[in-house]
Amino acid sequence: MLPRILRRLGQGLFVLLLVTVFTFVLVHLAPGGPSSVMRLGSTAAERAALRHQLGLDKPLPVQYLIWIGGVLHGNFGASLTGGEPVGPLIAQRLWNTVKLGVSVFAMILVFGTLFGVLAALRRNSWLDFLVNLASTLGMSIPDFWLGIMSILLFAVELHWFPASSTIDTSSTGVFQLVPYLVLPVGVLTFAVIPNIVRYARAAMLEAMSADYVRTARSKGLRQSTIVLKHAFKNALISVVSMLGLLLPVLLSGAVITESVFGWPGIGRLAVEAAMNRNYPVIMGVTVVAGAIVILTNIVVDTLYILIDPRIAHG
Amino acid sequence: MRTLLYRLLAAGAVLLALGATAAQAQNYDPNAVINMATNADPTFNPWYPGVGIESDLINSVIFEGLTRWDGNALPSPALATKWSVSPDGLTWTFDLRPNVKWQDGKPFTADDVAYTFNDIVLNNKLGANLANIYTPVDHVEVVNPLEVKFILKSPFSSLPSYLAYYEGILPKHIFQGVANPFKLPSFNKAHPIGTGPFMVQSYVSGAYVRLVRNPDYWGGTPKLAGMVFKIVPEPDAQVAQVLSGGLDLIRVDNPALLSRLQNAPGLSLDQQSENVYFFVILHQTDPRFQDVRVRQALLYAIDRNAIIKSVLKGYGEVATGPIAPVQKAYYDPTVKQYPYDPAEAKKLLAEAGWTPGPDGTLQKDGKPFEITIDEGQFGQLVPIALLVQQYWQDIGVKVKMNIMDWNSYLTKTYVKRDYQATVCWWRTPTTPDVSPYYLSSAAASGNNWPGYKDPHLDQLLETELAATSQEAKVAATKAVEQYVAQQLPYLYLYYPKTVVVRKSNLKGLLAINLPAAFQHTVDWYVSK
Repeated sequence: MLPRILRRLGQGLFVLLLVTVFTFVLVHLAPGGPSSVMRLGSTAAERAALRHQLGLDKPLPVQYLIWIGGVLHGNFGASLTGGEPVGPLIAQRLWNTVKLGVSVFAMILVFGTLFGVLAALRRNSWLDFLVNLASTLGMSIPDFWLGIMSILLFAVELHWFPASSTIDTSSTGVFQLVPYLVLPVGVLTFAVIPNIVRYARAAMLEAMSADYVRTARSKGLRQSTIVLKHAFKNALISVVSMLGLLLPVLLSGAVITESVFGWPGIGRLAVEAAMNRNYPVIMGVTVVAGAIVILTNIVVDTLYILIDPRIAHG
Repeated sequence: MRTLLYRLLAAGAVLLALGATAAQAQNYDPNAVINMATNADPTFNPWYPGVGIESDLINSVIFEGLTRWDGNALPSPALATKWSVSPDGLTWTFDLRPNVKWQDGKPFTADDVAYTFNDIVLNNKLGANLANIYTPVDHVEVVNPLEVKFILKSPFSSLPSYLAYYEGILPKHIFQGVANPFKLPSFNKAHPIGTGPFMVQSYVSGAYVRLVRNPDYWGGTPKLAGMVFKIVPEPDAQVAQVLSGGLDLIRVDNPALLSRLQNAPGLSLDQQSENVYFFVILHQTDPRFQDVRVRQALLYAIDRNAIIKSVLKGYGEVATGPIAPVQKAYYDPTVKQYPYDPAEAKKLLAEAGWTPGPDGTLQKDGKPFEITIDEGQFGQLVPIALLVQQYWQDIGVKVKMNIMDWNSYLTKTYVKRDYQATVCWWRTPTTPDVSPYYLSSAAASGNNWPGYKDPHLDQLLETELAATSQEAKVAATKAVEQYVAQQLPYLYLYYPKTVVVRKSNLKGLLAINLPAAFQHTVDWYVSK
């Protein structure tokens, strides 16, 4: 088990390194340049001075080596807008995204599995129909639109929740945080949950028609035992694997939701950095997001083995 | 007896008057903290390269310049109390305000002014924001702790106006021994020290900046206890927050967002203007655009009133030149006008040799008249460019559109000067000096974006820069306005109106515009 995990970690590191090379080349090839340099009203002399100061006049491979050298020493460089160190900036923003992400994850895991399983057990009932309808809506409604609409309804018209979540989440208590979380978590959950619901429903349907369930039935086991012990446990494997795959969806969903609600997370940071061609921040976010996705995949694979030991020998 | 009665009455009146003032003074909430919005993380240093709208207003609350704008957009005393220019126009002397303290308690002196300019602004290696404005300045000399001289290379009549334009003085003692003042995040991103009426208490990236009143402010105790700038990137979200009560003041640049706000209870809408003009530029390296008749024709062809009515919902007025009406002392409405006149446009183009071909497209020497408009996605630029395309096509010009994201657009059209035509704007300091945008010497690498070179205009601009009296300055400025309206280095589109939405109980703001109002936040108050 341990060598397997170590091997996966090694592969993951290599993938991450490749990702940084590609991203570095791509962001520098993209048209435009750092907003602090390429700004309206700047003169050629000012731009040249800045490019030199920021090290942007060096050849690209040299710039990459300087950057990766810094990263190996735990230094992600300085933001091109304002000069603050990128590492602490990302750490602060990431923590905010984690708060949002964990809430959404809890919601989709509990309610996604619940609705999926219920829909499968009551196939073709009104409940199945409603769940299907809701998940189709969640899949097809753009989350930025839903976000703006929910702000207009719940914040502007009804005054139930604040319109924006631009708060310092580190100095706000958990309970004070809840009103700020409701709308972004709600919108993001609504957008991501259909993936889980549909998957759980399909997996459950498959399990319920599997041979072992038929055998269990013929043994005369109670329906609840069949559902919980046999079908659900097997269906769960697919759901867990799906959760791992959903992390990138969640991260990209956070980009939109955080921008609409002003949630000070890593998604909003990424958008702003991309628009301003803030290279060190883009690189930093890429490394962090990449590392998270790779690590999650490793964790999910390991969980697989724990849930279903057959996979380890496969 | 009678005199005594009078005296008693007089004393009573005085007491009443005193009481009334006291009551008036108590008429505001001394604990009020107001909420405002900014669109991105600010940087607390007005000279930091690339700082812009996300930081400008916050910085003008924390830092102060030698001058600041008054209600007529003219420079008035701030850290300097008075100033004068030598007869040759080459030395400006500024008397500094005594007993001013930095927010950390250290005294403000002439050394701080000299440091800010000599070591930061005029240090070419740093590329400080707006440094190119100060090209005519050679250095700043300390005469005594309360007097500085600006020694110039060439006359610079608008220096006092420029000094009011986001040009805060920085504390020398903080930066002593710092090799690069832009690599000091503890100041630029955390705890700046200025002389202004409010100081930063805390800043959380992506969330907010919280400022509290500076109890030692030289201009008296600020009437607000503090102000919070929330970082809200989306204009729609800002509008939603002002409607739901989360914000007390926002600036709305997109008139389409105003409909919800117009009748909202408890909110006041103020229409304001700054020295901003939108334009179409035609790259002057292209020989077709060097013919003044072509430039005039392409302006006659655009119905600017229709653009203002449709895209701006009426929040703007037709522009006549680089000096906007907000500069009452200098604006000249008598310049040559270009009312919408497609017939006149076709006539001028015909005179220039452009006549309709068999398919109706204008051509000259067998070549069709084709223009590509490059446009960046920002505000209302794209819809305006599309209308310009339509108007030009109506008179027989073939127009292609090339739309791109803002950053790519600036790099292509502004930095590389790789474009034929584009729509954009200048937001300039409220000074009559427009030379950075029009001098031939600024054509290839400076702010003369169209690349217009004209020795006669250069001469007019230099006359304006050399003026040492107000009358001479006004006359010289009007001469520039008359000439550019004739020659059209830029095709002037419109002066936008900004709408400031505030809670009705927030008062004491200078009415002219937000940049001026933010230099006088000491007077803002929330009525009880």
